[in-house]
Amino acid sequence: MADPIIKVVNLWYQYPDSDFWALRGVNLEIQRGELIALIGQNGGGKSTLAKNLNGLYKPTKGRVLVEGLDTKQVPTHEIVKRVGYVFQNPSHQIFESKVWDEVAYGPKNFGLDEEEIKERVEWALSLVGLQGYEDTHPYDLDYGKMKLLTVASVLAMKPDVLVLDEPTTGQDHKGRWILAELSKKLNREGFTIVTITHDMRYVAEVAKRTILIANGQILMDGPTRKVLTDIETLRKAAIKPPQVVQLAHALRDKGVEIDALTVREALEQFKKILKK
Amino acid sequence: MEPIIKVERLAYSYPKRELVLYDVSFEVQKGEVLGIIGPNGAGKSTLCKSLNGLVPHFYGGKYGGRVVVAGMEVLKHTVAELSTKVGIVFQDPEEQMSGLALTVWEEVAFGLMMLGFPKEEIIRRVEEAIKQVGLEGFEKRSPFELSGGQQQRLAIATVLAVKPEVLVLDEPTAQLDPIGKFEVFSVIKRLAEEGSTIVVVEHEIEELATFADNILLLDQGRIKAYGPARDVLTQVEKLKSLGVDPPSVTELTYYLNKELGTSLEVPITLDEAIKIYSEAIGVS
Amino acid sequence: MSAGISLLKRTAVEADTIFQRLDGRVKFLYFIWATVIVYIFYDPYLTLAFLVVTLAMAAYAKVLKPIAMTLLIIIVPWIALGVLILSLPFGFPWNKTVIGYINILGWRLPVYLEGLGWGITWPLRISVAISSALFFYLTTNQAKLVATLFKMKVPFKAIYMIIATFQFIPLLFDEANTIIQAQISRGLRTDVGVLQRIKNYLAVVIPLTISALNKVQTRAITLESRGFSAPVKKTFLYEAKLGVADWIFLGLMAAATVFLAWVYVTIGYSPIAHLEWIWA
Repeated sequence: MADPIIKVVNLWYQYPDSDFWALRGVNLEIQRGELIALIGQNGGGKSTLAKNLNGLYKPTKGRVLVEGLDTKQVPTHEIVKRVGYVFQNPSHQIFESKVWDEVAYGPKNFGLDEEEIKERVEWALSLVGLQGYEDTHPYDLDYGKMKLLTVASVLAMKPDVLVLDEPTTGQDHKGRWILAELSKKLNREGFTIVTITHDMRYVAEVAKRTILIANGQILMDGPTRKVLTDIETLRKAAIKPPQVVQLAHALRDKGVEIDALTVREALEQFKKILKK
Repeated sequence: MEPIIKVERLAYSYPKRELVLYDVSFEVQKGEVLGIIGPNGAGKSTLCKSLNGLVPHFYGGKYGGRVVVAGMEVLKHTVAELSTKVGIVFQDPEEQMSGLALTVWEEVAFGLMMLGFPKEEIIRRVEEAIKQVGLEGFEKRSPFELSGGQQQRLAIATVLAVKPEVLVLDEPTAQLDPIGKFEVFSVIKRLAEEGSTIVVVEHEIEELATFADNILLLDQGRIKAYGPARDVLTQVEKLKSLGVDPPSVTELTYYLNKELGTSLEVPITLDEAIKIYSEAIGVS
Repeated sequence: MSAGISLLKRTAVEADTIFQRLDGRVKFLYFIWATVIVYIFYDPYLTLAFLVVTLAMAAYAKVLKPIAMTLLIIIVPWIALGVLILSLPFGFPWNKTVIGYINILGWRLPVYLEGLGWGITWPLRISVAISSALFFYLTTNQAKLVATLFKMKVPFKAIYMIIATFQFIPLLFDEANTIIQAQISRGLRTDVGVLQRIKNYLAVVIPLTISALNKVQTRAITLESRGFSAPVKKTFLYEAKLGVADWIFLGLMAAATVFLAWVYVTIGYSPIAHLEWIWA
């Protein structure tokens, strides 16, 4: 088996000036091409873990290896080339007056030549569906498109891994759907994706693997189907699975053979069950 | 019975912008819970702000139609006057902290202090409001060290202390984690049971379906559907065409009926779905 | 809990010494009084005495650390640089009395009294002003502060604007931090040249400014929705009243004023150091 693209070994993390351990002994391997959801209550360690993956935070104890590079030995600007992190709030990063310039910021920081930058910006914009908006002022875009802009600006750095921090918070259903499709498309194109989210329906529809983190430790790590149907453990973390999963669970308690993660799956299964 | 909120042909545009609300009309009775749903940009926030006068008094712009809340016509009263009748809670917990209170207690008291209530009255109401949202024990804490869910409950308490006739909540759980959402919805549901008049904008339609009496579907400034929750939420194709997802169990049953030819009753909540499907399958 | 403490540490265990219990107006008066006195007298020793007294009170009230840190950041570099430039022959126009010589890098330079005096006295005067102002601010309960300012007829809206600003500075620090992280994640580097550093600042300052402006607007909306502009008499939960300790403190200040007036008249404006006023 190929080496994992990211390997986390016994990661313990403490914020500077704090006694509190935000991460306690996290072990994790991420293979190239995975599509992972990172779930858990706020304060449980999701963002802290994610920021250890792109070199923003360095382990207090333990190691994080990105494509074989130890994040404690290698400068952050080398790691961010490989792991792109899209922050939750677009206004925390947008500062240029044109969409084109905003997307070009990342590649420019790498000192690439004009040709290369132009190519990457066009590629990133078309990937997220914002071609045509090059000269638009970012603040003239609606929130959904601003989110796509931030994804494009990170894509332009051509990282191998993409971390999306709560991409669907504050969005309407259509925005959520657009991001779900985009994530799946990017994953098909070869990007390894880690999504931090509270939206269980989104997780069910998008992520192949789900990691539940609470109190700085990984509580569950496995195929989404397995994690989201483990109602007991989810309840301990005060998380409700998608409504369809709850329905299936309740019916299974009454003896019905059903196992569905999404509306689509439930539809197919009920069709079979009710035909009888 | 005179409705406690009456919106007649409301039209509005922010200064130098296009119309954001066109010919919106609806009523809310005392004790009713009205849910407002729709895609972003539909005008839902603007509609909320038109209930307490921020629209038009704070923003300016062009205004048409009439909004009357608890007997006060919005156009003819200041935001301060309307704040005694309409309490509004926004999305971002941190943005609603006045920034002038060092403790949770002072934050809840803030509105009452601004409105000049006598001291003894303030003390009594603050205690009551804090209890209503379940923040007993937090009185001396700083608002800024609370969790998102606690901060939103605090925001609700500050509004409840003034004892308004109507509570308006604009996407109160959008920025919260699952526990926070649960805490806030619990408070809203309890207030609804106690008979409060509530207008709530939400994307969490599955939760909304469990306590909303009526639902208003807004898209691009116009009402696309309005009526009892069940009537609106079961219009699956209309909702989806506007980019709004109905509750999963609703969508599931609708398509099941369509593709299988069955005529199952279409549930809007999980509990209803469990009952309906148990019967349909033939289990207890 | 005092307004200033919340600025520096969101939740501080607040001390409750006699200084916290003094009325805000008395401490404010002390700030004005001390600043004026050290301005009237041109004497580094006297100014230093005032500074020491103020810092001692601060230490007793357990607010010494933030004041000391502020002074360290602002005043100490100022004194060091100021004394060097003014007392050595770098062009300070009133230098005429040589009091000694020092060796710097093989050069033998005269040290002038006038420049030295000026270079020490001015920063010390500012120190007294800053530390007495911070002393007032850090030991006065926010709600009492509001009531105090209101009694002093400061316009109500102005009071709230000032205090709210202080509450939000920590929030803006947090935001700045997040913004920096977001830009580092896009390749912003700190090991770069001047031109790039300017671009770096823009990448942080622009989002921060927009964010701050947004916060101002949403805060205004929140306040409006809570009756901030209601034209009624606002209720304040604290009464500003003068107690025994206040009168004693005021009495001490009055006595000191009389004594210093006598010193001024009999000895002069530089009683200990005997400096001459520059423009005499």
